[in-house]
Amino acid sequence: MNLFLNQISAIVWKDFVTELKTRELFSAMFVFALLVILIFIFSVNLSVVKASEVGPGILWVAFLFSGTIGLNRSFMLEKENGCLMGLMLVPADRTAIYFGKLISNFVFLSIMELFILPLFMIFFNIDLLGHLLPLLLVIFLGTLGFCALGTLLSSLASNLKTREIMLPILLYPLLVPIVIGVVRMTGQILTGEPLSEMMNWIGLTASFDIIYIGVSIMTIDHILEE
Amino acid sequence: MVDNHNPSDSAIEVRGLRKEFGVLKAVDGISFDLKRGEFLSVFGPNGAGKTTLIKILAGLTRPSSGTARVAGYEVEEGQSEMRREIGVISHSTALYADLTPMENLIFFGKMYGLERPQESALSVLEDVGLAPRRNDRVRTFSRGMVQRLSIARAILHDPSILFLDEPFTGLDIHASNVLKEHLQSLHNKKRTILMTTHDVSCGLEMCDKVALQVMGRFAFFKDVKEFSKESFETMYFDAVRDNQFTMGIRNR
Ligand SMILES: Nc1ncnc2c1ncn2[C@@H]1O[C@H](COP(=O)(O)OP(=O)(O)O)[C@@H](O)[C@H]1O
Ligand SMILES: [Mg+2]
Repeated sequence: MNLFLNQISAIVWKDFVTELKTRELFSAMFVFALLVILIFIFSVNLSVVKASEVGPGILWVAFLFSGTIGLNRSFMLEKENGCLMGLMLVPADRTAIYFGKLISNFVFLSIMELFILPLFMIFFNIDLLGHLLPLLLVIFLGTLGFCALGTLLSSLASNLKTREIMLPILLYPLLVPIVIGVVRMTGQILTGEPLSEMMNWIGLTASFDIIYIGVSIMTIDHILEE
Repeated sequence: MVDNHNPSDSAIEVRGLRKEFGVLKAVDGISFDLKRGEFLSVFGPNGAGKTTLIKILAGLTRPSSGTARVAGYEVEEGQSEMRREIGVISHSTALYADLTPMENLIFFGKMYGLERPQESALSVLEDVGLAPRRNDRVRTFSRGMVQRLSIARAILHDPSILFLDEPFTGLDIHASNVLKEHLQSLHNKKRTILMTTHDVSCGLEMCDKVALQVMGRFAFFKDVKEFSKESFETMYFDAVRDNQFTMGIRNR
């Protein structure tokens, strides 16, 4: 068990050291998310539609699409020079490799989201500070589900020559329940509804988070093969 | 190192191993035994299935049929324990290009569960002569330096069995002498070694057993003392020439 946790933290540590040196992942994700928000700002007339109505959709498009860039990049790092083969050779449970990658994907995407949120607030002129905690909870649930499924599918797609295309094709349809849930909740939060009003949505997203992680634990042994 | 898992003294036991890619038989019925501490050199033309054989033995690819025991463990089961016992040098370096040698080795050391990854990393880096460059990015290294570092990665956890797939590729004379000395000392320390190579004199010099793999089969498997270097050379070159010929037919 101890070794298991050490292996997970070693993978996270390795991804962080790499990212601190290259900053490639963060900058690619951040610039993309920022671009999405800017494009919508100029195409939506905010004096006609309410920001709290279009905002949630735009915010999650920015998060999920830039997250996909991150997932692709993160597994490319493992495929380059056959590093994945090196990982297959160590006496690690495949789930340790999965959780290591899941955690680093999750943390990178969350950091990027924390940088995007204030910009979103300024551009759309929405006051998020009043409902920051519920909003963060919803973002946590959505990001976790996205990364749980995304990490599994990007390791599945990493053996295919068409992985950049296959990942979104597989990922987005399966993410639909979570996306609907988090977009609805974000909208309700922005209009000032309390969390207690949306317990069913929270339950739905949390269950899908658990389902995605559970399915990954069950299947990763068969998926991660050199 | 005594292994209580398997009483026999075989490090590698292979029985009727086959691996097919569609109609292509990359490994086509190989059986052999290698005792603990023995050094086997596998020669063979390109495409003979040497890399595939190593991948199966290292648990990276599943065989289509047949069995293999490595360090007393069935290759398909008991994977984690088996992997602790083996080190692999293959065509791909399995190194993170944006990290330094130290960071790479500390990472793998942690993955192997070593007590002191830092010290183990430094000590193997000294072994392969990369200690002065330990804090440079691997991306800036030459092919030979990368090769030395992948050797360091393979021996980091002091495995009892080593699989080396053409380890001399890309090394300069000095580095290949260093590697030779290193293999010699591992051999003296009773590590089991299976190496593929195209360098006849070097391969024959160090090993106990010699195999010639042609079209997925061992056409020849003998103790090195049982034949002369010249006769083997003739046979090897004939096999390579015939292979060119048959490959020509196959491609048509
Ligand atoms: N993943 C694979 N898919 C299809 N064919 C493969 C694969 N790996 C190897 N082969 C084929 O198997 C044969 C043996 O390859 P390999 O083991 O690399 O030979 P060697 O290392 O002796 O040169 C070759 O014809 C090669 O094209
Ligand atoms: Mg080969």
